[in-house]
Amino acid sequence: MRRKPHDTRIGMLLALVPALLLVVLAALPAFGAVGCDLNDADRDVPRLFPGATRYQSIYVSIQKKGGAALQHRIEGRLGERHLALYAPIDVPYTIYEIYSGPKKVGYIHGVNQKGQFGGIQVFIAQDLSGKVKTFYIQKMTGPAAAKMRDPRFAKHFVGVTLKDFDSYDPITGKGTGRLAHVPNPAPEMETDFFGVLRGLKKNLVLMDAFIFSGGNP
Amino acid sequence: MADTDITLDARGLSRAYRRGSEEILALDGVTLSIKRGEFVSFMGPSGSGKTTLVNLLGCLDNPSAGELHLAGKKIFGEGKRLSERELTVVRREVFGYIFQNFYLVPSLTVRENVAVPLAFYRKPGAEAEVDRLLKLLGIEHRANHLPREISGGEMQRVAIARALVNRPEILLADEPTGNLDSRRSTEIGEVLQELNRSSGLTIVMVTHDPGLAKLGGRHIEMRDGRAYEG
Amino acid sequence: MISKFQIAYKSLLRKKVRTLLTVVGITLSSLVLVSLFGFNQGYEKALNHDIDNMGYQIMVMAKGCPYEAATLMLQGGKGLRYMDPGMVRDIAKRPEVQATTPILMQAFFDPNKGESGGIAGYFGVDPSSYPAMKPFLRFRKGSWFVSDTAREVVMGYEAAELEQREVGDMTMVPEKNVPLKVVGILERTGTQDDGTIFVPLKTLQQIAGTDKITTIGIKAKKDADLVRLENELYQLPDVQVVSFSQVKQTIMKLIGTARVMVLSIALIAVFIAMVGVANTVLMSVYERKQEIGILKTMGAMPHDIFVLVWTETLMLCAGGSVVGIMAAMLCNGITDLFIRRLLPYAPSGGLVAIDFRLALYTLGIILVVGLLSGLYPAWQAGRMRPLESIRSE
Repeated sequence: MRRKPHDTRIGMLLALVPALLLVVLAALPAFGAVGCDLNDADRDVPRLFPGATRYQSIYVSIQKKGGAALQHRIEGRLGERHLALYAPIDVPYTIYEIYSGPKKVGYIHGVNQKGQFGGIQVFIAQDLSGKVKTFYIQKMTGPAAAKMRDPRFAKHFVGVTLKDFDSYDPITGKGTGRLAHVPNPAPEMETDFFGVLRGLKKNLVLMDAFIFSGGNP
Repeated sequence: MADTDITLDARGLSRAYRRGSEEILALDGVTLSIKRGEFVSFMGPSGSGKTTLVNLLGCLDNPSAGELHLAGKKIFGEGKRLSERELTVVRREVFGYIFQNFYLVPSLTVRENVAVPLAFYRKPGAEAEVDRLLKLLGIEHRANHLPREISGGEMQRVAIARALVNRPEILLADEPTGNLDSRRSTEIGEVLQELNRSSGLTIVMVTHDPGLAKLGGRHIEMRDGRAYEG
Repeated sequence: MISKFQIAYKSLLRKKVRTLLTVVGITLSSLVLVSLFGFNQGYEKALNHDIDNMGYQIMVMAKGCPYEAATLMLQGGKGLRYMDPGMVRDIAKRPEVQATTPILMQAFFDPNKGESGGIAGYFGVDPSSYPAMKPFLRFRKGSWFVSDTAREVVMGYEAAELEQREVGDMTMVPEKNVPLKVVGILERTGTQDDGTIFVPLKTLQQIAGTDKITTIGIKAKKDADLVRLENELYQLPDVQVVSFSQVKQTIMKLIGTARVMVLSIALIAVFIAMVGVANTVLMSVYERKQEIGILKTMGAMPHDIFVLVWTETLMLCAGGSVVGIMAAMLCNGITDLFIRRLLPYAPSGGLVAIDFRLALYTLGIILVVGLLSGLYPAWQAGRMRPLESIRSE
């Protein structure tokens, strides 16, 4: 008889604790709301990654992964002074982990890249080896935008890996290999064409740093 | 009859309990008086009324009939019954109590247990009593132990020290050795005898143990709610 | 030697898990309660701050749905209907008005935004009157337009971030394909200005092919009768008046419902915690019956025992409450994010403002309620008779 009220109270407490924890956890991912996200991930993920049944957003920053040293290495690999404008070292990058059933099958990740008339958002879907499965420009401004966003242009990048950039420099536009043979669909808009290629390289380098080599060069 | 040496004076004390529709007379008109400095032991079989009598003498309970005088002052009697508050005042001035189940506070150390009464009531200079009693009762080396870390005999010594910390005139002991083996019982008995002898403490004790009862100078046999001087 | 306080404290330590669980209950309920109070206080403050940062107290816009208009305006969306710019002069003549500024909100369809295209909004402002109304806008780089027909834009911080623009870069108005030069980038303000692209009014009118405006911002004189001014403006044909005090009231009304809901949850949490406290203390009183009896034989008065048990309650409540309030202050940011997700409109800046006064207030409430819940157990303990308690085994 005496134990009963005690048990009931613990029951109530136990019910309350997970409820409040849930509330707190549910609020957490909102930290990553800056950076480069898919406009409508629920719709975009299955389109960019056929066969995906589920995705999970994770948030990674250079600060967390390796700090100033990593930032320096990444900038060295890109040959650019800034990763992106207005991107401090702790800016969170959204990486969508893609699952097919219970199995992880790949990633989707986007970066901001400066273009002639506005920001270019270059997204890629990669399999677990880092090979590009789908290439997608979510946003671009200017006369070249429609041509660059054409799926026929995107096809040129299917199968590209970070290795392809070993023989091709998107800053000078010089080099060999498959990337050197990608035709510019809007020859009058060179800046945007190379912007797209730089965005692609940046995306691959960041994903390599964050995921494929775990922050080590 | 009002002798200044007489500290407790009971006249025709009775106590009846109701159990269902039946009325049980636990104490049946006991008259006795206890002098200052006496060591009185009550013996008798279970249900003989000895504990009931001691509880009445110790102002822990109200009698159904009869009178009780404490140092010449009427506590219970015709037209007089003290409230719980007034009884508390009497108890803390006059009595110290020890029981069969020591009732120490398990979360407090030995020294703290002895000092507990002082948190509620403190006769002048009573603070000094704590260490004096620990020493007197041979438990000063246990002062910082918790009750669960000491033996039963030591626990009863702690209870005795606690009962004495406010320097009572009368110590009421209800089966003080009931939970102890014979060797420790003897020890506790000797402690009580020594307290009675050296500081003139009046002791009223209920016991089953004839050996212990012998230590008292005066012997009262209880049977069927009546007291027989032994 | 030993005080009642120590006796109470040590008896709580006797059943550590039970005490801890009870304290956790109080901690959680204080956390919810103080966060809620903080929200009550902070939300209104943040809203006022947002409204002050608009720079003007009243907006006149072409007729449409008032809620929609309010939302559009606060979120910097697109304008719906147009009005005649001549109205600006009429309004400026009124004695209560200190300054006016004409605004054109214009939206263009950008097919190259996302899968199915998106809207790009532009804010056409008058370089001679708009900056003067918002003197608190600071430039990260650059400055306002050189003329009212310049082909230039000034970007809010987030707009510049999204478009990856620096001063001197070009940008292009979608749909019309008109290039404009970035001449200024604003510092972060924490308001909707961060996402806004400002264009000189005449330039935007020319691009959009209109000579109308959508909105007039009105700044009233310091001690002007705002209500009278609003009522006068209502008399103008085909316009609606959005006063920020009204907007605020509307939003506060919407929030009110949410507040009542959260308050009831908090009260339930407090109630559960207090039932827990009463239960814990009552149980420990029953468990210590003999001990309490002994304390009474040793001279403890009923009120001593009452105070002893009450002190235990007080310790449980004070401990839990202080931890809960501190946790609430530390988790302020998380609470803020959580509330933002729940609300129809969340102003920028801290929504949950917990200050010292509020912390004390919450502590006071928990202590009072806690002491009330300790009343019964303490009274039970106080009235125990020594003999009955001792014999209760």
